[in-house]
Amino acid sequence: MRYPCFFLRKKFVSYLEGGVAPGEAKRLEKHLGACRECAELLARLRSGHEAGRQFGRLAPDAGHRPPEFEEIWAAICPTLDRPARPAMAGGRILQALSTPLAVRLLIVLVLTQAILLVVSLRKIPSPVVAGAVRTGDAPLLQGYAPVRIAEFSSNSEFRVVTEGFVEDVYFDEHEKSLHIKLVEVPQKHEPFVICEIRDLGSLTIPQPGDRVRVYGTARYDAQPGRGWHEVNPVLTLAVLKR
Amino acid sequence: MASDVCPEQTVALRALPGQRERSIVLAARRGDADAFRELYSAYRDPIWTLVVSLVGDSSQAQDVMQNVFFKAFRGLGGFRFQSGLFTWIYRIARNECLNHLRRREVPYVPLEDVLGCGDEIDRARVSDLEEARRAALRDAVKHLPLKMREVVVLKYVEDLSYTEMSRILGCPPGTVASRLNRALAELETRLRPFKGLLL
Repeated sequence: MRYPCFFLRKKFVSYLEGGVAPGEAKRLEKHLGACRECAELLARLRSGHEAGRQFGRLAPDAGHRPPEFEEIWAAICPTLDRPARPAMAGGRILQALSTPLAVRLLIVLVLTQAILLVVSLRKIPSPVVAGAVRTGDAPLLQGYAPVRIAEFSSNSEFRVVTEGFVEDVYFDEHEKSLHIKLVEVPQKHEPFVICEIRDLGSLTIPQPGDRVRVYGTARYDAQPGRGWHEVNPVLTLAVLKR
Repeated sequence: MASDVCPEQTVALRALPGQRERSIVLAARRGDADAFRELYSAYRDPIWTLVVSLVGDSSQAQDVMQNVFFKAFRGLGGFRFQSGLFTWIYRIARNECLNHLRRREVPYVPLEDVLGCGDEIDRARVSDLEEARRAALRDAVKHLPLKMREVVVLKYVEDLSYTEMSRILGCPPGTVASRLNRALAELETRLRPFKGLLL
């Protein structure tokens, strides 16, 4: 399955319900005109959707009715001679952690860590990195293993930094995240890696054609119908060349 | 301070006003039978619909319903108002249905074995077209894999949005959309021989 197909297909049911924005609908229809596989799938989903709607309108099986309250109460009542069960041990821990003092301590801890991280980032010089990932002008974060896009299939590192050319930038409305397809060589669709940005914050959104460096967690997405390497979530991103 | 209603909780998943829900839960925790009764009245019908649709058999659904509300009422002490009560009970119901179905291990029965194939629908067993249509739909959904079935039920029976479904199923909306696609494609395949009957 091609990259745009995967994301557009998630909108098919919304499209059938008339629930996508006009611009998105046009984009989808344009794609359907060019992609036979997607057009065939949409036709199947249209039938499935109609069947689902009919199923939803069916009256419930009239054989039995839900139990009366008294039946359920009769089962519960004997166990209520003691107060309703208190929170489990884990729940009590969570309750303790949610006290105002614990929350304040947690906030202080997080802020301290964030400040330390920012300070350490500013101090890191641009080290020379062995391997194919170039340093460019942007600093490299410590603790991130440089991995070429083509090397993701044999990568065992968790925190990685990679570089590549942006082939596509796509905002997935369902996931509420920005997806960037990075390729190693411009105009060559493979090898590629999908970089998923969940929180844009102050990150610069790259444009197709940009060369970027991406830091984040390496994953392999093995859901049915797809299989590709991801940097997900992206921690930070630097545009090296525009 | 915990808010009265989870801010993400939407109208579709809220059967009681937030403040009322909170006071009823607190009363039920003290063992107040009237509070239990009110909670049951508020949530019985939507949970029943969910359970019958997932289990596919109303007689077995009764047992599941008993277990759902037994667990919900006994577990109210652990409810911390971090999600809506309705979402919380929904999750209990869903898990109870899945457990029930796993225990039962429903054998896969090809739809054609139930209804006959295509134009050869057994008219002796199925008295009229309308009943055949219902039977075909129910059986097609009933024999979907569990994860597909529940997403179809939540979408078309409970009329929930992707966001609401994702909250109940505990996965991102995009995953819900993909799962729904697979479920609908599977439904289409299973109902293809009966296309004329359904349209």
